[in-house]
Amino acid sequence: MAEDLFWSNIFRRVEKTELSTRDVLKTVPIFSDLTKRELKYLERILHKRTYRADEVVFRENEPGVGMYIIVSGKVNILLGKEHKLLALLSKGDFFGEMALLLESPRTATAQATEATELMGFFQPDLFHLLETRPKTGNKILHRLAQMLAERLKQLNIENRQLKLRLTQFTAESGTTR
Amino acid sequence: MDYTVKTILKLLLTLLILAALGWLFYQISSLITILVISALIAYILDPLATHLEYRGFNRFQATASIFLVLSALVIGFAAFYLPPMVVDLMAFQQRFGDNEATAGLFTGIEKFIKDSIPFLENHELNLQTRALEFMSSASASLYAAAADALSWIATAVIMPFAVFFLLKDGRKLQKNLISLVPNRHFEMILSLNQKLNDQLGGYLRGQFLESAIVAVLSAIAMTILGVPYAVFIGIFAGLLNMIPYVGPFSGGSLAVLVVLLHGGTAELIVSVIIAFAIIQFIDNMILQPLVIAKSVDLHPLLVIIAILIGGQFFGILGMLLAVPVTGMIKVITIEIYNTILKYQNL
Repeated sequence: MAEDLFWSNIFRRVEKTELSTRDVLKTVPIFSDLTKRELKYLERILHKRTYRADEVVFRENEPGVGMYIIVSGKVNILLGKEHKLLALLSKGDFFGEMALLLESPRTATAQATEATELMGFFQPDLFHLLETRPKTGNKILHRLAQMLAERLKQLNIENRQLKLRLTQFTAESGTTR
Repeated sequence: MDYTVKTILKLLLTLLILAALGWLFYQISSLITILVISALIAYILDPLATHLEYRGFNRFQATASIFLVLSALVIGFAAFYLPPMVVDLMAFQQRFGDNEATAGLFTGIEKFIKDSIPFLENHELNLQTRALEFMSSASASLYAAAADALSWIATAVIMPFAVFFLLKDGRKLQKNLISLVPNRHFEMILSLNQKLNDQLGGYLRGQFLESAIVAVLSAIAMTILGVPYAVFIGIFAGLLNMIPYVGPFSGGSLAVLVVLLHGGTAELIVSVIIAFAIIQFIDNMILQPLVIAKSVDLHPLLVIIAILIGGQFFGILGMLLAVPVTGMIKVITIEIYNTILKYQNL
């Protein structure tokens, strides 16, 4: 009887962790359009990586090839030599998604602050998905484009406000002179 | 002092390990050859499997479909083509002795050669004796190959298996290998792997496409001219075409030899030579610039050395594999160098 309980317990635990990984994936905006089946396939092609506390995920200026999703643990996003903290990310958060489209140097350093489990989704995976399952690949690509467009819109608004403030500032300093 | 002794010991140990590895490689060279060929075939077929996946197959179905078609082709070719060829070869050997017709044939050939090449006029060519010597040594090695049937059967079983699983699970295998890479180098290796796949795939498929087109053109030309074993000559010419200078010449030579042995006319021989010259022209002027990546341009001397090394260690198959393998090594070296450079220039 006790043995039975032992096995059923293990089974439940495995099921639970698997579910949580997929749940985490579902919360990532670029995967939000995917069906259950597509998520299952995606889970299979993603790269599972584990990091110790203080281990660096990637360094600023290194060429980046893709994004990471935090399954468990916490990651600091740091800028410059002085390691200025830009963000503290935790379960369900993602970072580095720009590198999926553009293989360019990383703009910040990512460092795990505790034992952390990440799922990596990289350019080769996206390209392979587009080749073999274009429907799934396009859903992700579409979401990615929407996300970038949204960010561009926000930056545009911010840019306009800054320009306005700059003209106001120059006008003000002109009148005071 | 202690330090130097330690260094020497380390060096000796390294050399010992290298020697052991070399010995091991040499001992299992036939297995390595089989695996390399299987990997090359799987690599060339990969885009086809990917395309079938795009069409809605899963990877297993895609691989199985490709495999069925390919097996049917190979078995069909072997069943329809090999038996008559073996019969023909045996008939040749029997006819070859002191038959007057054969003697007449060789006198005819000798006369043709002496007429065409003036300074050979006073030389004794003894073509028939030499051909006999060649035939007996060739048949001896044929028997040796037949005696090696066990290894052939092993190859015939292992290779399809290897190709099937490399084609089906190649990506998974690569992913699993990459997952072993430490975090620090993980992204670099992932990116390197992708670039190698692109470059190597392009190079190997280019080579294959070029060989295939040359094979098809040769087979068509030989069929039109009525040369026996046109398809076999075509495949032979296509394979050898990877070897610069010597390859195309060998393909043509085989065709000429077949024509001679079947008592073809001088005009036919000239036509065969012209046909091969035209195919070479097409290959050099049209196919090569289109198909082969410039970055993998191998120096002819390098190719010849590679072929000799391949032949030394892995026999005739090694000679054939030497060109693509050397190309692969060049691609790999360039990509590793570029990637390391990129990651160092931070």
